[in-house]
Amino acid sequence: MPDILTQLQPIFRDVMDNPSLSVVRDSSAATVSGWDSLAHINLVSAIEQEFGIRFALGELEELKNVGEMIDLMEKKLATQ
Amino acid sequence: MNAYRWADLAEGLSAEFEVELTRAMLDDFVQLSGDDNPLHTDDEFAKRAGFAGVVAHGMLTSALYSRLAGVHLPGKFCLLHGIDLEFVKPSFAGDRLRVSGKIIYLNQAYQRAEIKAQIQNGKGELISKAKIRVGLHEH
Repeated sequence: MPDILTQLQPIFRDVMDNPSLSVVRDSSAATVSGWDSLAHINLVSAIEQEFGIRFALGELEELKNVGEMIDLMEKKLATQ
Repeated sequence: MNAYRWADLAEGLSAEFEVELTRAMLDDFVQLSGDDNPLHTDDEFAKRAGFAGVVAHGMLTSALYSRLAGVHLPGKFCLLHGIDLEFVKPSFAGDRLRVSGKIIYLNQAYQRAEIKAQIQNGKGELISKAKIRVGLHEH
């Protein structure tokens, strides 16, 4: 099973409509072109459906970058 | 008109309605969109292209997805965020279209629903399918 960052790459490319995009743990809305509020909702929706997990709004508001998203996902996946 | 609030929505909730497609609708859509391609206006041209007659614009029948969301599911408080469309078969004046949709996913954090929708003709053939993303406003 590839790591979560690798699994997130096609989701980011699809949502940001950028086939050459490659995100890293430090990537954030400030560094990724097209990561606006609507793209963020699309991103969260795609991740929830792909991984079968659900986020609370409070959890999402605390996230600063992709790495923190991955850490949160790992916690949720570990408790499933 | 339905008036579902966010708390009323659930995965699996569905809606459907039927519409008879008329030549007047095609003509009106030519006026509205400016798309007067002869495939939509000239029966002889359409027949030479292999169709039974003028073909309804895909975007005309897809306008029925707007009605599905704005009137039926969720209805009155709908905010349409986006639609992914795929056209499968042509439709023609005189076709009886059945438009249906079902909520397949609710994003609780951002209160957005995704609806899997489709349009079928009177023979049960799939005309188009869509994934519709909607939110709701409060007032």
